[in-house]
Amino acid sequence: MKKLLLICLCFFLLSWKPPINLSKLSKAKKGLELVSGAAHKISEEEEYFIGRAVAANILSQYPLWKNVDITRYLNLIGRALVLKCDRPEIFSGYHFAVLDNDEPNAFSAPGGIILLTLGIVAMAENEDELAAILAHEIQHVVTKDPLKAIKSQRLKALGTFAAGEAIGSSDQVLNIFQDSIMDISGTLLQKGYSRKQEKNADLGAIELLKAAGYDPQALLAMLQKVKAIEKKKAKAFSAHPSASKRIAYVEDNLDQGSVKSSKSSRLTRFKRFVSRHRN
Amino acid sequence: MKKKIWLLGFFVVSAMLLAGKVLVVKVMRSNLLAKPDFLSASLAPMQKGAKLELIEMQGNWYLVRNAVGLKGYIHQTAVAESKTNLSGIMPGKKGASEEELALAAKGFNEGNEKKLRGSKGYNFADVDWVMDWNIANTALAAFIREGKLK
Repeated sequence: MKKLLLICLCFFLLSWKPPINLSKLSKAKKGLELVSGAAHKISEEEEYFIGRAVAANILSQYPLWKNVDITRYLNLIGRALVLKCDRPEIFSGYHFAVLDNDEPNAFSAPGGIILLTLGIVAMAENEDELAAILAHEIQHVVTKDPLKAIKSQRLKALGTFAAGEAIGSSDQVLNIFQDSIMDISGTLLQKGYSRKQEKNADLGAIELLKAAGYDPQALLAMLQKVKAIEKKKAKAFSAHPSASKRIAYVEDNLDQGSVKSSKSSRLTRFKRFVSRHRN
Repeated sequence: MKKKIWLLGFFVVSAMLLAGKVLVVKVMRSNLLAKPDFLSASLAPMQKGAKLELIEMQGNWYLVRNAVGLKGYIHQTAVAESKTNLSGIMPGKKGASEEELALAAKGFNEGNEKKLRGSKGYNFADVDWVMDWNIANTALAAFIREGKLK
């Protein structure tokens, strides 16, 4: 009985926290909290608004292909994958769409807006390969890679505004918002993610494909296609690291005897949704 | 006897750890589910800010009770631990949260999106088209079944 009381007492002491009077926190401290907040401290809702603006920027440069059949098909594949990812619930859920552009590419905006060009959709020969592209992009959202493209100076400046209580008033805040959007768009459209981020997205995609019941070999198949067109300056799944390097580490991480799941029903519906729209 | 005391202690500590913890829905929309499975039946829709009482943790899922006493499951990524106590579980609380203030301060918000709407270099109309896509759980379950997915 004494031990029981001791356990309860220990628990109480460990879990008790002195109440914090927020009003006594200095504004400067609040500012510092925001500064220290980098990408991982950006809330779900902030990520959502950043993602909408990044997507709006991309969609001002790449027209959307408003094909209802293919958009619905992509959303079904994407959501089947999302159920198995480490971040299935985000502020407004994941959304997938196609851009009317022949250059093979794919973009993941913060907040789960994932855009594939017609060029990369056309490269996929079956549903599993489409799923491989989506799984890679979902992994970027899961690990918040797009947000990490925001330069730290933006967040520092925002922290300074908060400290000075210039909340919501100034055009400067709007400018920082826009600059942050451009940081991300620049990374998505031109600079690309770091090698480490791409590798993590590839390895995460393998696990995600397996968890959802897709054949992870499909990622390898897509990368081999990327390699074949790499010399044509295709940015498919980002240009670096090179497709050859990605193929090497993806091969290392695929199970040798990976089970070939039944693809026939998936191939049938792939043909129904995608093939008939090809020229 | 010692074993029984330790077991009892474990249950008391577990109950204390969970008792009174309030979770708040941090995503725009979610569902209180019948089972710890996204494709199980929805017992009630959950909106951002809804408060839930934590009953039990099961892996990545929480068994919770909502404001009207309905028990169900919600995924851990849909909620955050609330700083309020159980008395705050009933709806109707007004006033900006710390997070909302931080959001306003940072400018990554609806107000600034409105300012960008119509500006050159932003096509929000197509973003709305993309985000309007909604897939019903029944359709997703049928798709997974048909494709022999997991």
